[in-house]
Amino acid sequence: MLIAWMNEIGARVKGLFLRRERDAEFDAELRAHFEMLVEDYRARRIGEAEARRMAHVRLGGAQQIKEAHREQRGLPMLDTLWQDLRYGFRQLRGSPGFTVVAVLTIALGIGVNAGIFSILDALALRPIVVGARQTVVSFYPIFQGKRHRNVHGSSSMFSYPEYEAYRDQNHVFSGLAGYVPFVEATVGGERPAQINGTLASCNYFDVLNERPVLGRGFVEADCATAGASAVVVVSNECWQNELGADPEIVGKTISLNHTALTIVGVAPAGFEGTEIAPSAFWAPITMQRELVPDLININDADLSWMSVLGSLRPGVSLEQVRAELAVITARTQVKYPGTMKVSVQKAMLFNRPEERGIILTVGAVVLCAVGLVLLIACANIANLLLARAAARRREIAVRLAMGASRGRLIRQLLTGSILLALIGGTLGTLISFVSFDGLVRIVIAHLPPGAPPFALHLAPDARVLAYSLLLTVLTGIAFGLAPALQSSREDVNTALKDEGGDAARRSARTGKLRNVLVSGQVAVCMILLLAAGLLLRGLYKAQTIDPGFEMKGLDSVTFRLVRQGYTEAQAAALHQQMRERLAALPGVDGVAEARNIPLGDEHWQTEAQVPGGANRQVSYNRVSPDFFAMMGIPIVRGRDFTDGDVQSSARVVIVTEAVAREFWPGEDPLGKSLMSFGEGNPLLEVVGVAKDAQVDHLGEGHPNFLYFPTDLKGESQDDFIVRSTLGDAATLDEIQSAMHALDPQLSFVAARVEDNVSNFRAFSRIVVAASGTLAGLALLLAAIGVYGLVSYAVSRRIREIGIRMALGADGRDVMKLIFGQALRPVVIGALIGVVCCAGVSRIFSSLLFGVSPLDPIAFVLVPAFLICVAGLACYVPARRAMRVDPMVALRYE
Amino acid sequence: MTERKAEVLQGTLDLIWLKTLETMGPMHGYGIARRIEQVSQELLSLNQGTLYPALLRLEQRKWISSSWGASENNRKAKFYSLTRAGKKQLAAEAKNWEQIAAMIGRFLAPGAERAR
Repeated sequence: MLIAWMNEIGARVKGLFLRRERDAEFDAELRAHFEMLVEDYRARRIGEAEARRMAHVRLGGAQQIKEAHREQRGLPMLDTLWQDLRYGFRQLRGSPGFTVVAVLTIALGIGVNAGIFSILDALALRPIVVGARQTVVSFYPIFQGKRHRNVHGSSSMFSYPEYEAYRDQNHVFSGLAGYVPFVEATVGGERPAQINGTLASCNYFDVLNERPVLGRGFVEADCATAGASAVVVVSNECWQNELGADPEIVGKTISLNHTALTIVGVAPAGFEGTEIAPSAFWAPITMQRELVPDLININDADLSWMSVLGSLRPGVSLEQVRAELAVITARTQVKYPGTMKVSVQKAMLFNRPEERGIILTVGAVVLCAVGLVLLIACANIANLLLARAAARRREIAVRLAMGASRGRLIRQLLTGSILLALIGGTLGTLISFVSFDGLVRIVIAHLPPGAPPFALHLAPDARVLAYSLLLTVLTGIAFGLAPALQSSREDVNTALKDEGGDAARRSARTGKLRNVLVSGQVAVCMILLLAAGLLLRGLYKAQTIDPGFEMKGLDSVTFRLVRQGYTEAQAAALHQQMRERLAALPGVDGVAEARNIPLGDEHWQTEAQVPGGANRQVSYNRVSPDFFAMMGIPIVRGRDFTDGDVQSSARVVIVTEAVAREFWPGEDPLGKSLMSFGEGNPLLEVVGVAKDAQVDHLGEGHPNFLYFPTDLKGESQDDFIVRSTLGDAATLDEIQSAMHALDPQLSFVAARVEDNVSNFRAFSRIVVAASGTLAGLALLLAAIGVYGLVSYAVSRRIREIGIRMALGADGRDVMKLIFGQALRPVVIGALIGVVCCAGVSRIFSSLLFGVSPLDPIAFVLVPAFLICVAGLACYVPARRAMRVDPMVALRYE
Repeated sequence: MTERKAEVLQGTLDLIWLKTLETMGPMHGYGIARRIEQVSQELLSLNQGTLYPALLRLEQRKWISSSWGASENNRKAKFYSLTRAGKKQLAAEAKNWEQIAAMIGRFLAPGAERAR
């Protein structure tokens, strides 16, 4: 039976061709049949005319038989699809005005959606491509249960010994590279510059198949001995911009973090690593101590700091990789058995779960928002279609009367809608492909100066295309389904009989649908507007928020001496000199130290507990004794740190009021003990309570925060805060020249403390600008929808209005009538929108800087604003109704 | 509505077409229609034209084949004949039909009535 079926389908496909010949052949066959019938009747001595008539009856309707035969011959589905498409095209060509408006609306909606999705795709969905169109595999550890692990960067990373074990023991990769991204380095020279680079295993370029275009690149020997091979590969970009595109660059040296490195290669153009921040150089990972003499011990087997990328052997599946890596993991994790699993996937720009979680969540929210705008646009087009359907009801009634089935009509109308959506969607997708890469570049170029460098290259791929196509088809169905259902429900009799008779009842039904559409539009628009309104309130709060400490007249000097290649001793000496120089600057009346500047981009966290109590996550800072006075943070109980605390490395701590409340509710925290930095460390004594201040993140309330005194050992890591009476610009100039005079090779940042706040505000400004634009677009579309609804209602009821006015109603009455009916769906929609938004507004509470997600000001003003705009959209067409001349209106058809 | 009835009957009708062709050998559409009317004693009296889409379907399934030839009155007509696949299909359908008929028959037999 299956074979028979396949034969039939094959024959039907063949039947799509040579239609005319096949028609002619069947004609002949049928004619022969007819003639045989006639002969038969003639043989029974029936007259010629009567014989032919009876033969016709016996055979049946020739046209119907031919049609049935034709349907059996080909693929009727395809045939009707083709018919419907042609019908759709004719419809669109017949009303160019409607088509242009609808196509542009859809193009805009789909374009924005496709563009946003292509950003998400580039960030977290698209496997990165290296070398000659090759994908690589990334994996990261997941820890579970109780174990010790040092973390530098993210816990989802490996240690060097772990990397070596995977590299040497696996049989699934043709090569496994390990690397440490985001290594900051100061390029020595006339003007020290900060660049971002990578520490890499020496097979890095071979595994990624990105062999240097100049020089030999790394060889195995470069990674053989720690610190032995001072070589570096620079990126093409770095070679062009920093090194003057010198063709003889290979063999010359470059100073990075005070270490002279020999350039052994220039990476191919366009290859800047596999992370979001472009890498300007790659050094052997064994040069880590020379380049980044941080706290890293390369031989520490329990340190997360490396990412890995492997190129698969031909024919190896991800499943095999998972199995193999699980075996190696079990074999190597002998110290903490069963506490580490490995997760394997194709490498993407972001691989680690904590980053992907954020990106995918934010991406989903943004996609929802732009999807909602598309939905509003759909409602407008649906309304236009409904109006057109009203004009076409006679045609549809005729077709129903001629025997067209309702399903067939719906299919035809839907095909037309999807065709329209496809035209708009294709246009929009093309525009987004062309424009979004540029848009992203512009946005990146306009990020605030403090933002980390990053590069994002959008490249439309099958995934983006599939998403756009799916969205386009859904769009076509979304705006086409309701009008199609509506117009195919035509009552043939009344529609054919006359225009007027039943029109009122009918238009009431369509009117209801149009009202529902407008309600939906207003609801969705309300959600977006309210979200934008809340974010705007958040921004306002951010601009005016009191962080709880003083910023006026305070400047910061930040640097990372040891990371720049100074030895501990050099750093300590330099730090000492810096402090003296700064203190001696004219106008400076105080210098304090802190491990990180309030609201800076470093955040230190640890765990703390009351002895015997539960562990709690706390943020902390190390500060010098005059810090609190200078920042204007009052010590509400107890004492400030003293120089004695610093000199003797006293085990003391100052807690915030929030910590006091949480750790010792209802008790006096002074003199209490606190355990921090893991178990087994000596207890710390609480000597003071500082007033809560937002020193870590702006606008996140008062999380637990501890202050420890600076200690002599790590002193050179501490930044300076300078108070000056000279004014910011002059002070910063002074600081610049003083530091430069001290050590021309020193890379540091001198900035106003206030600038840190503007980094927080800048992000919030970007979010507000984006959401405001989106909400504005939604508002415009919804206003058009309301305008369309009222205009249509007025035009349908011109006669009724005329009668009312002839009977003595004045303009105000008519206005009241129109407004009352038009504003009802608006108000219903607005209410729904308010309720929906109240339900979801909590998701962006972190952007609200303490403004309640149910902020009454936003929740009153925004709906009022929306209703006003809707009222205006009503008023313009309603005014036309008011000016109706009864005489004209009564004659109006 | 007639369409639905035909659908229910389709397997049975296929059996009739195939069996007719087996009995008569290669035959044109008119001959098949006449034969069926005679055998069914005009009980199964359809418009003769409806035969053609059915024949086309059987041909598409490669149960019958067709070629042009001359009729007994020397008229050019298309002749249909059973293929090997068609013979097999006919055997299968006939067996199936006999089983169903036998089963229905048992239900309708006097013994079955008593048992009720």
